Amino acid sequence: MDKQLQDKLLELFTGKLSRQVQLYLDTCSRCGVCSDTCHVYASMPIPKYTPAYRAEVVRRIFKKYFKAQGKLLPVLGEAKILDETALDELKEAAYSCTGCRRCMVYCPFGIDTQQIMSIAKLLLIGANSEPEILTMLADMSISKGESIEESKERFIEGLKRLETDVIDKWKIKAGKTPIPTDAQNADILYVALAGAHSIVPAAAIFNAAGENWSLSFFEAVNFGAFVGDPAKTKLISDRIVNEAKRLKVKEVSICECGTAFRVMKHLSGPQPFKVSSLTEVHARYLREGRIKLDQSKFDLPVTYHDPCQMARNAGVIDDPRFILQHLTDDFREMAPDPKYNWCCGGGGGLVALGEETLDFRMKSARVKADQVKKTGAKILATACENCHTQLSDLNDHYKMNVEVKFLSSMVADALVH
Amino acid sequence: MDTIYTLILVPMVYLAFFVFFAGIIWRITALIRKPKLPTTLKIYPEKKPAILWALTDTFFLPGVRRNNPVLWFFLMVFHLCLLLLFIGHLELVWDLPMFQMIPHEIFLGNGFLGIILSVSLLFFLFRRFISPTKDLSVPEDYFVLILLFLTVIFGSEMDWARRWYAYEEMGPAEYRAYLQTLLAFKPDIGDVNISGHSFMLVLHVFFGNLFLMVFPFSNLMHSIFAIPLNKLRRG
Ligand code: SF4
Ligand code: SF4
Repeated sequence: MDKQLQDKLLELFTGKLSRQVQLYLDTCSRCGVCSDTCHVYASMPIPKYTPAYRAEVVRRIFKKYFKAQGKLLPVLGEAKILDETALDELKEAAYSCTGCRRCMVYCPFGIDTQQIMSIAKLLLIGANSEPEILTMLADMSISKGESIEESKERFIEGLKRLETDVIDKWKIKAGKTPIPTDAQNADILYVALAGAHSIVPAAAIFNAAGENWSLSFFEAVNFGAFVGDPAKTKLISDRIVNEAKRLKVKEVSICECGTAFRVMKHLSGPQPFKVSSLTEVHARYLREGRIKLDQSKFDLPVTYHDPCQMARNAGVIDDPRFILQHLTDDFREMAPDPKYNWCCGGGGGLVALGEETLDFRMKSARVKADQVKKTGAKILATACENCHTQLSDLNDHYKMNVEVKFLSSMVADALVH
Repeated sequence: MDTIYTLILVPMVYLAFFVFFAGIIWRITALIRKPKLPTTLKIYPEKKPAILWALTDTFFLPGVRRNNPVLWFFLMVFHLCLLLLFIGHLELVWDLPMFQMIPHEIFLGNGFLGIILSVSLLFFLFRRFISPTKDLSVPEDYFVLILLFLTVIFGSEMDWARRWYAYEEMGPAEYRAYLQTLLAFKPDIGDVNISGHSFMLVLHVFFGNLFLMVFPFSNLMHSIFAIPLNKLRRG
């Protein structure tokens, strides 16, 4: 690696050294407690898949260039030069971690491996070694934000084709728009994903609740966050923030996408509007009696997979359970419970990388499949696009014999007048 | 020999304490000068008050207990003994009536705590020979454990060694006299180098000095960073 590139990467590294991240890098007793708390290592016991090993890949470079110990006595901490092999290791480490932060729950110091891996991801971007698809997808989202006026019409046309599906689920008064867009002063701006499954059920439920809502022109998914590019992450979420400000909405509700929700709610600073997940909104409607559900709609045992970025990392834990109480008499909690729940194995951009990561995703999530099977449930509900895709793949691969469903679509199907 | 003893017992002690405190202050300043991330990194479900839960996490290690009860047991015992021995060392310098509820001359169990510490340290050391901890460990981790082991062994068995020689010749009173001259910056090693078991004291102090000097530059800083880190997790 030439000196110029190395300097550039070290500069990127320096930019990542906030007080918190430096604390994480400064502390690790390599006690190994975190090892089998990672679904990857628990499913495939190879040392490089332990959280601390992953973190050490970054930490060794940190020691080499930022620590007195690493400069004077590199052998002590096995400080390491940043070169091509280091890049390979960084890639392996970062893209075998889903950023679920389960290890952080067990670590005596609460070391956040996801934060440390975000350094690895940024260095990879700096060296043009990140998975290209993710950057491409991120760039597409950004350019869509820049040229929204041109694509608006096509988008609205597309929505027209979904209207009958929405009305099929919930009849609205004549003259009302089933899927409103660009509604000034709406109470809720709903940010969906590209795809009918993310728009139709949600729209039906908003209409059933008599909500004054508007659909965002943008997709919620943040590929910038997956690839670990802070600038792109911000550009992508800013599109939504600006739309919300322009329409003067009170609340922005993020669809079933864990990362998009966490980025908007917890990782992009205070906003002039309330941020909630679609699940929270649905629970609120139920609590306020704005919608009613038919509890006999699903007569099979149901279990719920907590998306890591929604539950452990963003606090949406009780609401999905509250909703499920209204959907079934036979809800089966997974063990261990939400705080310790196993990651599905699809986060951190792995699902977005598709076939390329399929084999790894299946092998690394054996513990998840076992956990689901143990519940004996026949319906596996979840509230995250990534999790849904990954769980469906697991279902095929491990013959889990369940039907994987979005929580929102279950709510929409069980709506009663 | 006398010169070496004196070097270890006086200038090296001063140097060690200087490096220890200066190093820690340097490490903490380096941290505080870094910009703070404005976002939260906490884990849910949250419990209030966060600081109390962060302290509980720091001192009782619930995550470790859940994951590895045997390790948890040794970690708890080890850190507790360390705390008691720290108090014991304070007692060597000052009278702490609070801790004299059970009157004692040689502090706390006549070396018994040291044995427990040594056993725990050996446990920590040997678990580093087994995968995956083996693959995680770096030389620093072994080095620190061995250093601590040596410090503890010579310190805790000092009284046992004393029995082999003239028992009354050198004991806590002499240690105290020596330590107080150090504290007053009028160093005088007095009678601590005359007995046959002085070598135990000198080795204890020697390894202790090394330990103090290594402390700020090693993962031992976890003892200081544990509370802020746990606070981060609790939000
Ligand atoms: S549990 Fe924490 S301190 Fe122990 S090895 Fe893992 S990250 Fe390091
Ligand atoms: S964040 Fe999740 S995937 Fe990454 S190391 Fe920790 S437990 Fe493993």
